[in-house]
Amino acid sequence: MKSKKTWILISLPLIAMAVLLIFYRSGSRRRGGETGEYATYSRHYALITDEGDEDFWNDVYESALEKGKERGVYVERFGKNLAVDYDRNDLLDMAIRASVDGIIVEGDDEEETVSLIDSAVEQGIPVVTVLNDCIESRRQCFVGSNSYNIGQEYGRQILQMLPEGEGTVMVLTDESRTDSSQNLILLAIRETLAETLGDDNAVSVETRSIDGSRSFSAEESIRDIFLGDDLPDVLVCVNAVYTRCAYTAAVDYNQVGNVQILGYYNSDATLDAVSKNIVQATVGLDSAQLGELCVDALDEYVETGYTNGYMAVDIYVITPEEAEELMKEG
Amino acid sequence: MKAKSQYSRNRFLRRWKNMSLQQKLTGIFLLTSFIILAVNLYTYAVVNGMTGRVEEVYASNVRMNELSTALDRVQESTEDYLNTRSSESMEEYYRSEQDFREKIDMLNTEITDNEMLLAEKNIRGLSEDYLSLAADSIQAKRGRNVERYSELFDEATVLYEEIHTYIYSLNNEQFKDNSETYQILMDSLNYTELVTVAVLLVVFLGNISLIVVSTRMVTQPLHRLAESADEVARGNFEIEKIPVQSMDEVGVVTGAFNQMVESIRDYIEQLRETMERENQLKERELMMQSHLKDAQLKYLQAQINPHFLFNTLNAGAQLAMMEDADRTGEFLENVAGFFRYNVRKHDQDASLEEEIHLVDNYVYILNVRFAGEIHFTKDVDESLMDVRVPSMILQPLVENAVNYGIRGIDWEGRIELSVCRREKQISISIWDNGAGMEQERIRQVLAGEAREDERASGSNGVGIWNVMERLKLYFHGRAVLTIWSEGKNRGTEVQILIPDGQEDK
Repeated sequence: MKSKKTWILISLPLIAMAVLLIFYRSGSRRRGGETGEYATYSRHYALITDEGDEDFWNDVYESALEKGKERGVYVERFGKNLAVDYDRNDLLDMAIRASVDGIIVEGDDEEETVSLIDSAVEQGIPVVTVLNDCIESRRQCFVGSNSYNIGQEYGRQILQMLPEGEGTVMVLTDESRTDSSQNLILLAIRETLAETLGDDNAVSVETRSIDGSRSFSAEESIRDIFLGDDLPDVLVCVNAVYTRCAYTAAVDYNQVGNVQILGYYNSDATLDAVSKNIVQATVGLDSAQLGELCVDALDEYVETGYTNGYMAVDIYVITPEEAEELMKEG
Repeated sequence: MKAKSQYSRNRFLRRWKNMSLQQKLTGIFLLTSFIILAVNLYTYAVVNGMTGRVEEVYASNVRMNELSTALDRVQESTEDYLNTRSSESMEEYYRSEQDFREKIDMLNTEITDNEMLLAEKNIRGLSEDYLSLAADSIQAKRGRNVERYSELFDEATVLYEEIHTYIYSLNNEQFKDNSETYQILMDSLNYTELVTVAVLLVVFLGNISLIVVSTRMVTQPLHRLAESADEVARGNFEIEKIPVQSMDEVGVVTGAFNQMVESIRDYIEQLRETMERENQLKERELMMQSHLKDAQLKYLQAQINPHFLFNTLNAGAQLAMMEDADRTGEFLENVAGFFRYNVRKHDQDASLEEEIHLVDNYVYILNVRFAGEIHFTKDVDESLMDVRVPSMILQPLVENAVNYGIRGIDWEGRIELSVCRREKQISISIWDNGAGMEQERIRQVLAGEAREDERASGSNGVGIWNVMERLKLYFHGRAVLTIWSEGKNRGTEVQILIPDGQEDK
């Protein structure tokens, strides 16, 4: 009995030490294991976009990333972590030089863009343009929507907002954009209105170019509209940033109700504004679908050497009732 | 498993028991020292590993800086060559190009979701492109294609700046990440410090308990031995045997101690038994002696058996009285009284008065027999009449005084009996003025050597020696019988000194 006690006395500290060591080992592993864990992929795609409209592009990127991961592809938001903000074409150039396996880029019709895309394709890097096409280039695919369709949707919403068939509509356009998409939107709006109200209708559609060349200049330009005398009945915003600037200004200058805003994209802030009827409706592309289709197109091309030249993305319209429900769903 | 551990435990215990004290103590010290050494080594290893990791934390930043420097050197040497076309700048270009290539070869090529590793891959791609541009521009310079090389160099410069931006950005990201890692490491270091202290503490406590337990295993038998020894020193040999637990020096001493205690106990037991036996023997011997004495006494008294004579004399006395022969009657009464005494006092002691009365009887009888020749006088202290003495001690002495003293002398024989107190003793003296005794004869009589002669000469039986022996037995040797005589025809005195008082008996 006594010797038993003795043995317990001897073994107790040893057991305590062992427990401590095990505890320590697991502790240090838990603490040390945070870095250095990563998965590897077989392909590397670069997503290159202009600055601005971060919410929208983040959604596109997230869905592309998810889709890519399912297929062993890593999609990088190229140039995102760099200390210098390079413009889209610089990034495109760098991506080509860095020999990525595929490029997703928001296109335009500039020559430089066309030549860069062409040089990428020459070097065997497939390029998919997203949201806006670069029709002149040899890109493999364009994923996005027909701007004309979006314009039609805007037109239909305007008709609902102006039931009497008269009023002023102001379309905010991006001065820096050189492609035809904005013109197509405008054309579609006008044609849709004319179809219903006739060619000589009392709805005047005008455009206002927003200076997006400098940072923050868009917001200033939009506020100028609210400070001016010629406030329209309907304000059409063609991107998410304009939408947010417009409804913020409407609230700030107490113009809610005086001006009806047609927004773009379904960010949380926009949805909130729609549900409060500050923005009467918002039109957008399905960003998740956009990202997924980009990856699909690139994969298809890499794997088969062929892909569709155009992949259409759904357009949606969100009214205040729908916005409320969407927000409830979270 | 359990049986196995039990077995190994038993084996360990057996080995432990067979170790010497020195081996045990050395074992304990070695074990504790090893434990402390192991803990120190462990701590050292942990701290060393930690330091190494801390050193590694910013290694990636250092690598990026080196890469950046190497890139600068390539750019500078290229520019220098394009400017001067010197062979030194050419050499420098090749060296720096080689160096830079080695460095970018170490960069990641895998496609991962770790942004930093991906950035490395991008840097590598850009750098390879840059190097080919630089090489092309140098080639063009060699070919004196001025337009081409300046164009290529411009392109390379743009790329150089872009790569720099990339490296710088990656460096920043890595620094951020490394700082986090560093923070984690520092936390971990603190944690390690705590654990190490805890381990040290536990080991310290464990060591203490190990030392306490093992030294107790060593000293406990010693302690028990000391306790038992103390007990033995206090005279208690009835202690339990101390169990011998080990075969070390303490075990040997314990064994020897047990043996010693047992031996002592056995020895004491033996001694006691011997003494008891001796005592019994002595007792038996004493009893035998006393029985013998009793027998002797009875025998001596039985020597004088006057029953028949006494009865006869009584009959004679009655006859004399019937015939009115008064003197005969008196004589026969005296004779009868004399023998009656013998019969009655056969096995008892008697008072001095009774003894003196017997002497009177005897002297009367003798005076009738010898026609009044004996002049007997008494000087007796009446207070001593009740003193108890063995019966038949005075009459034999008087008989001796008559037979060897005054018989046959040609002068008037006298016998004197005196009883008096003398210095806490009672003196009984019988004196005669008869033939006296030689000193040699006195010695022989007192030593008992004359006994056989007495018997042979048909004496009355109860002689001086008999009286002496009985006195000795009765008074436990405290009675003294002395004989004085100044020589032939100068008379003899026999004196008995007995203790005074009844309680002294």
